[in-house]
Amino acid sequence: MSTLNGGGDVFRLEGVSVSFRRNAIEERSLKHALAALVKDRGPSLYRALQDVTLTVRRGEHVGVIGRNGAGKSTLLRVLARVITPQEGRVYVDRSCHVVPLLELGIGFQADLSGVENAHIAGALMGYSYADIDSKMEAIVDFAELDGFIHEPVKNYSSGMYARLAFALATDVEPEVLLVDEVFGVGDEFFMEKCVERMRRLMSGGTTTVFVSHNLDFLVGQCDRLIWLDEGRVVSDGPAPVVAKAYRAARGTS
Amino acid sequence: MDKASRRFTWLYAKSQLKLKYRYTALGFLWNLLEPGLFLGVLSFVFSVVNRMRIADYAVFLFSALVPWRYFEKVVTTCMDSIVQGDWLLKKLPVSPFALPVTRWIVASAEFGFSFLVVFVLFAVLKTQWTIHCLVLPLSAIPWSLLGLGLGLVCAALFTFFRDIRPVVQMGLMFAFFTAPILFKPDLFSGHSIQRAMIAWHPVTYLAALFQKPLYEGTWPSVLDWSVSFGVAAASLLAGFLLVRKSRGQFYFYL
Repeated sequence: MSTLNGGGDVFRLEGVSVSFRRNAIEERSLKHALAALVKDRGPSLYRALQDVTLTVRRGEHVGVIGRNGAGKSTLLRVLARVITPQEGRVYVDRSCHVVPLLELGIGFQADLSGVENAHIAGALMGYSYADIDSKMEAIVDFAELDGFIHEPVKNYSSGMYARLAFALATDVEPEVLLVDEVFGVGDEFFMEKCVERMRRLMSGGTTTVFVSHNLDFLVGQCDRLIWLDEGRVVSDGPAPVVAKAYRAARGTS
Repeated sequence: MDKASRRFTWLYAKSQLKLKYRYTALGFLWNLLEPGLFLGVLSFVFSVVNRMRIADYAVFLFSALVPWRYFEKVVTTCMDSIVQGDWLLKKLPVSPFALPVTRWIVASAEFGFSFLVVFVLFAVLKTQWTIHCLVLPLSAIPWSLLGLGLGLVCAALFTFFRDIRPVVQMGLMFAFFTAPILFKPDLFSGHSIQRAMIAWHPVTYLAALFQKPLYEGTWPSVLDWSVSFGVAAASLLAGFLLVRKSRGQFYFYL
């Protein structure tokens, strides 16, 4: 992982490959490691990303599409610096505040209150206690949790839980947002609220990378689409063009 | 650790402590009674074995057993911290140090509570208090750093090899029973193999940091401090380097 100095690029990937071991639980043992050493047996690998080269520029709105297992979430995790690829180089503009929204409510503890969880989850996103405190009223308003914010989140409905998590991630207006299929949570009204909030962030200049199976949503929101298949970039270009090619390939045009 | 991970570690450790006592009326009390009961039974049994007055033996025993239990708890709880933190490490770019360090902070706070129990018991058992007790906060530092260092080593190894837990537990048990914690070194004659083993045992010197001020009423020697801090620094360095070197690999083993 290297740092980009200035320029307009937020992320630059060069020849990035990620492989997972197809290992069972019992293979994660000293016994198995020694046996593999004696038998000179290498692990069986599954290549989730293969030789991926791409750039995301500041202010861009990029959608990542592809079938299940195409490597979309792995790509997002590489951008989020959660996965260190075995091959290739990843350059990240460290001056940008990147918030990965790979799942709603990461870091939430069931027995802690909404406020306490907001501070812990906020810290995970890189915000200080004071940052979260100053935004707490707006977070509570968006999440519609007035009167519940001091209750343990285990007493929340799934909608309340998702609203708090989403409000927390987006109210602080990150410079870069990485979103992995999190809009499937909550009711229709909540989804509309989320999309509206996302539109506002995007028009305000937040760089966004979305992973979604909702092609219409991506075409509507993104300037550019990246189509992945079996870990390789099949197409990377303007959203309507890539979407048309993707639909044609899937026979759904 | 980056700033966000440090902030998270502190808040998460505080929340773990808070949760431990939030819903249990007797929670804090149990934390004091449990080590008290354990120490009481041990002192009764081993005072018979060591043919010592129970009050005298209890002071000797408690002085090193309490830091040992803290050290043991740090190592064993740190061991599975990275594996159990998969919910976090697979979703956010958090430093893998955050999880073992959280366990270390929680165990350290509980060690502080345990020492409160010891002081209450000592108020009953100990007849003479000396100025040497003032050194005890400093004595706890090498124990703490050694626990964290070995905890980091174990956390990294356990991520790759899930069957090392019994090996670590046996190692700790061996170290405990061969160190002068339950027995006094003068139980063995000057040239015996047991005496030589005690002299080469690093825990002997760590134990002395508590036994000398609390039980003997003397200052720990330069050798006690040197060996203790040397072993602690070496283990901390090993743990730090191992976790840092392996951090890119953890994701694939969680």
